[in-house]
Amino acid sequence: MLPDGALDRLQEGCRTIGSRCNQLGISQWEVVASQSYGHQIDIEGGKISLAGGGGEGGYGVRVLEDGKFGFAYLVDVKSADEAISSAISIARMSPSIDGFVLPSEQSAKKVAGLFDKSIIDLDSEYLLNQADAIISEVSSLDTRAVVTGGGIGVSANAASILTSEGIESGGLTTSHGVGVQVSIEENGQLTSSWQSKSAKSKLPNVPQCIERAVEWAQLTRDPIKVDPLEDDSPILMTSEGFSPLFSVVVPTAIKGEKLVRNESFWSGKMSENVLSSDLSIIDDATVESGKSSGSRDDEGVPSRRNVLIKDGKLTSSLWSTRDSAQQISEGRIESAHTTGSAIRSGHQSPPVSGCSNLFLTSSKKSHSFESMIEVMGDGFVINSVMGAHTANPTSGDFSVTSSSILRVENGEIIGAVKQAGVSGNMANALQGGVFLGDDVRPQGSYSSGTMYVPNVLLTKGIRVNPV
Amino acid sequence: MVLAKSPDSIVSGNGNRYLDVDKINKSLDLVTSNGATYAEVRLVALTDYSVAMRDGKLERAIPGQEIGATIRVLADGAWGVHSTTDISSLQEQMSPTLKLAQSVAARRSAKDRPIKLAEVPIIEDSIHWVPKKDVRNTELSQRLEHMKLMTSSASEHENIVSVTCGWHDENIHTEFLSSEGMNRTWSFQRSLINGMVTARDGGNVVSYRTRFGGEGGLELIESCDVDALGENARISALRLLKAQRAPSGKMPLIADRDLTGVYIHEALGHPCEADLVAAGDSCLDGKLGHKIGSDLVTVIDDPTIRTGYGAHPIDDEGLDTVEKCLIKNGVLTEYLNHRETAEHFGIKPNAGARAQDGLHHPLVRMSNTLIHGGTHNDLDDLVDDVEYGVYACGSRGGQVDTGRGSFQFAAQEAWLIENGEITTPLKDVSVSGLTLQILKDVDGLTKESRLAAPGFCGKGQTVPVGDGGPIMRISEALVG
Repeated sequence: MLPDGALDRLQEGCRTIGSRCNQLGISQWEVVASQSYGHQIDIEGGKISLAGGGGEGGYGVRVLEDGKFGFAYLVDVKSADEAISSAISIARMSPSIDGFVLPSEQSAKKVAGLFDKSIIDLDSEYLLNQADAIISEVSSLDTRAVVTGGGIGVSANAASILTSEGIESGGLTTSHGVGVQVSIEENGQLTSSWQSKSAKSKLPNVPQCIERAVEWAQLTRDPIKVDPLEDDSPILMTSEGFSPLFSVVVPTAIKGEKLVRNESFWSGKMSENVLSSDLSIIDDATVESGKSSGSRDDEGVPSRRNVLIKDGKLTSSLWSTRDSAQQISEGRIESAHTTGSAIRSGHQSPPVSGCSNLFLTSSKKSHSFESMIEVMGDGFVINSVMGAHTANPTSGDFSVTSSSILRVENGEIIGAVKQAGVSGNMANALQGGVFLGDDVRPQGSYSSGTMYVPNVLLTKGIRVNPV
Repeated sequence: MVLAKSPDSIVSGNGNRYLDVDKINKSLDLVTSNGATYAEVRLVALTDYSVAMRDGKLERAIPGQEIGATIRVLADGAWGVHSTTDISSLQEQMSPTLKLAQSVAARRSAKDRPIKLAEVPIIEDSIHWVPKKDVRNTELSQRLEHMKLMTSSASEHENIVSVTCGWHDENIHTEFLSSEGMNRTWSFQRSLINGMVTARDGGNVVSYRTRFGGEGGLELIESCDVDALGENARISALRLLKAQRAPSGKMPLIADRDLTGVYIHEALGHPCEADLVAAGDSCLDGKLGHKIGSDLVTVIDDPTIRTGYGAHPIDDEGLDTVEKCLIKNGVLTEYLNHRETAEHFGIKPNAGARAQDGLHHPLVRMSNTLIHGGTHNDLDDLVDDVEYGVYACGSRGGQVDTGRGSFQFAAQEAWLIENGEITTPLKDVSVSGLTLQILKDVDGLTKESRLAAPGFCGKGQTVPVGDGGPIMRISEALVG
């Protein structure tokens, strides 16, 4: 899957573009490159619908002169002059940011577990076998169940950064992912569940998410009638149900620039209690095998563990080099430094501030799923929501719909609810009466990074409106 | 690794090509002589420019060039696909892609229906939708001028804490060659300007976003009153500061054009996509010819509406795009399809194949989706009959579970309707429902139907779309 010397060629390309920047007399420059290769299998209607593969990549160049920056991206080193020229002309039109310089070289500690050689050796035939095994497993767990959509993918990614300030780094990472939509249609009733799993290392042939998908397609059948509720209800959100909402709201609210610009519901609350006193939020790009881990951030600064909220108190925020310099120069904050939190969406964009692996933790004892049901008394279990991306990251308000929801009464699940509206405010809901589960399952994000969240029981401030 | 040459020499209509037609055709012939029933190469070269401005200052400007190509090979009733930015490798990847298809086919059981493609006209031509003002000739200063104008009108109030403005324009050049002899080249442009206004009053912080754009060059943005766009966004953001939390429950809903567009996109458009129907993941399976909506409801999807953000001249299987009538007076008349699903259902191909870019294979997708107008004169005419309900405006997006037929969409702002009058401003209104119920509950549409703000649709791949319609009333919707 990964051609021999892929990373070397990428780094050579960076050096060629960097040399050209030097020849053109650019004082500070940064060249990034990425190239990915992969195989994928699509599943539709209970069978393999397509097998694919390929590769893509390119370069991005950021130039900096007197606090003014410009950026351009390209697919071919031969067009470097044109890209550099574009970036320079943009820099000249950009406002100058006092104190903005590209980061200098600092040694970075390698993060283990980001590359699995066994993934490199996987071919399409392996993935086809895996797809067959998954389709068979679903059928064996429930003869009515069908994988109506989803697929499997493996990839190997080479990435490199080279800067005028002495940063020269590159590496290989791998990933293996499975996602399935399992549906059960019987007696005119269709229920379904989407579950996925991905990792930097090779996954088991049939990951546990497959069983969960079948289980939730079964659990949500034969809905019962639940009368409309006038008061707020406790809800136990599974990791899969909670993380989309959490990922829309929290990674944005915790950015340094959002906080100092009064664009976050946590603006003006530094050092104040913003969450339940047992809760902490930590962003950590140094986690071994972390889905969004790396030894350096996307502008070459060594990665670190940033405790953003400690025991309920807002203590820190996420900064990239430019964002911190800009907010200081515009007088919004006296002091700020990069927290190693620069992210990019590939080589096609300059870095911005964002999270990596974002953890929600509690200093209290974690709870099993069953014990949280008991604690809840009367309420709901929600495994997925529709419309999480419509949550408002500025205010924290959300109003979403769930068709994967169970009714709990007297500490017991009594049946499924066909559909319900779920609304509230994420910041308020996390301020008290929060119980965290004992099984952290990393999930993707609607904004940036990876959400490391367990099942979460929210007992205050959520309104559920069953159909 | 060999990366492609940059697409710097492509000018709409001048005949320049990235693909070596003779060489690609030879490799397509070879792969079909080795067992493929069909093969194609589709290349997309994109030149784009993104700009972000915050509070009147340039945040970032990103000029970019991308190129990608996808090989699709159909063999023994199964697909193999290869995508790459390395255009020089296309010929050598043809045989491995055939083997992929054959590997998939070998795993199919006898009861699995082999994939076949509906027959289509074979065309060799070039179609270029040439804009009046080519975006590639636009200076950054021109882009900034429009963005500053929007920012300026959006900022004028002490409670406005931030105004961000975005710009994106792109020139899309596509080349398509198939083993059937299809040889088509097409190009067009899209332009977009957007804004996000954030307002704050004490601890209360809200935001409102606005967008304008479509198919076309700089002339499209020049036709927009960006000053008014910014002003309206400011007024809405300030109003949201005083808005109350919405009531919840079932009640009449009136939706503006933006929200009507998102509603019809989510509630009907996605379940009408024939690839989802064929996969058993649509509530509209088996409903062709059935009455599924009120007599008032007629819905089209039309990529030929120039200036719509989902407009394109040719679909990504090389077919001329056409208007599709999905519902006529409440009766489901047509699925959106591509060649595979047209053959599967025995229906006429209607050119519904779209891919995100040159690195993705085509799926069945919407383009510009609209409800036709009705008989009500205006908003007042619709509100008059409502004793207690909600008038909701502007979209924050939506989502659908096509299999169950349940959907959700969220409004940017809303008002309570009491005794035929629009009264209290509301915030964070979302609407959910079931496709097969709510289409029957449409009981009022204003006369004029047109596209609203441009949008993006995600289905594993993201494509630009246009949605819209008239102002619409639903007799009973679940508001939350």
